[in-house]
Amino acid sequence: MIDTENLTRKFGDLTAVEDLTLHVDEGEVFGFLGPNAAGKTTTVRMLCCLIAKTSGKAYVGGLEVEREEDCLKIRKMVGLLPENVGLYDSLSAYRNLDFYGRLYEVPSEKRRENIESLLRLMELWERRDDAVGTFSKGTKQKIAIARALIHDPKVLFLDEPTANLDPEAAKTVRDFILELKKQKRTIFLNTHNLDEADRLCDRIGILKTKLLTVGAPRSLETDVHGRKTVVHLERVSDLVLASVRKLGVVKNVRVSENRLILDVNSPERDNPDVVRAIVAAGGNVQYVTELRSTLEDVYLKLIREAEAK
Amino acid sequence: MPLLLGVVLPAALLLSLPTAQVNLANAAFLVNLSTMYFVVMAAVLPTVIASYSFVGEKIEKSLEPLLATPTTDGELLLGKSLAALVPCVGATYVGAAIFVTLVDAWSYANLGIFLLPNMDWSLIMGLVVPLACILSVESNVIISSRVNDVRAAQQLGSFVVLPLILVLILAPTIEFTSISTLALIISGMLAVADIALFYLSKATFKREEILTKWK
Repeated sequence: MIDTENLTRKFGDLTAVEDLTLHVDEGEVFGFLGPNAAGKTTTVRMLCCLIAKTSGKAYVGGLEVEREEDCLKIRKMVGLLPENVGLYDSLSAYRNLDFYGRLYEVPSEKRRENIESLLRLMELWERRDDAVGTFSKGTKQKIAIARALIHDPKVLFLDEPTANLDPEAAKTVRDFILELKKQKRTIFLNTHNLDEADRLCDRIGILKTKLLTVGAPRSLETDVHGRKTVVHLERVSDLVLASVRKLGVVKNVRVSENRLILDVNSPERDNPDVVRAIVAAGGNVQYVTELRSTLEDVYLKLIREAEAK
Repeated sequence: MPLLLGVVLPAALLLSLPTAQVNLANAAFLVNLSTMYFVVMAAVLPTVIASYSFVGEKIEKSLEPLLATPTTDGELLLGKSLAALVPCVGATYVGAAIFVTLVDAWSYANLGIFLLPNMDWSLIMGLVVPLACILSVESNVIISSRVNDVRAAQQLGSFVVLPLILVLILAPTIEFTSISTLALIISGMLAVADIALFYLSKATFKREEILTKWK
């Protein structure tokens, strides 16, 4: 649904996005993680045909981002929730959505249906005639998402949808995104929130001007730091430690109180050998667990490496 | 403002006419002279409304979702221009209607005829007022899409319509065969300027600049 090839954007001497190549499937929730000024918003703006690319190629729904006639079609095909909700405070929730429905040329009957179903989905139908200015931040954010959905877009771009929201409002918005995920919409989610990305996204890309990595949250957590096996023992003796170190499958051993933390290539394949060696050396194994790195570990490692370059 | 003008202008002009000089020629001259103030009003009003068009959306941060819609640059500019034009011309016409009513009430009472509307008045109100308003609206919309705050937009907008106001104020004082001819000439010039300005506004409207040069 979204494809980019060496997509680059420069503002004068500053490179905002460099050689971005990625692919997002139809119905996928793709998370774009990165610090401030990493190029996330610039990427979304390029993909929504709001700003031009400097070089490279980008396609949304098979249409090329550049040609004016394709850009109009792309804008019709996508829904955008910008970082600032940008609703008209003096207009009611209904009229805000109706105004945008008209701009997207949604026929009046369909527009009414869509507004009603979206506002009911967000439990705001009863407040449809209230001025948006009277709503809380979280409610405004929900209406802004509804605005992005008013024309049933194939692709939804959400730029920091929970930024500046209190935990309750953020949860409401996240639940709503999960609801959209169930509807199999293609969602491109820019976020700082690692937990949010972990919970919502099928795949995640980490960006710091360049794309540092892409993958499913689980695979990123294992790909970057590897998986570790933790063996809980009654007591870690020197004999046990020596026997484990002798094993070729164990790359690294760390002792923490009565635990052995081991780097192994494949826990499924190597753990039985490890346990056998410990038992043979007289160790009493209490239980074996797996230690995974978190998405936060992965993110910080990659961003620090990128900053160090 | 135009409503106030509709009341104050006839009162100031006609009531100041000494009783001895109350005749058709003097009254007609004063009425025609005051008509140009409605054109000035139509040119000045957009500096308040049109100057807010894009910069107001920038301030409210509502421009990005608007620019993300499948509207063309021309449609956006036309929409913004109409949104400013309709209330400005409408308010001017309401003020003019009050002016006509008061002037006619006075002229019927003192001269036994209705002075307005006449051909000169109709041409000025029907052609010069909307065309001058369009020119002012377009100038202000262009400015609004290129500055970062409303005050700057209004100040620049006022500066841009100043020459136009000067021409409109001085026009009736020029010796000319008829006001109707003068109104037609001014209308022609304004129409050309309006069309040129619309194309200029389309050429200078850059979504990217508006988005990336936000402060």
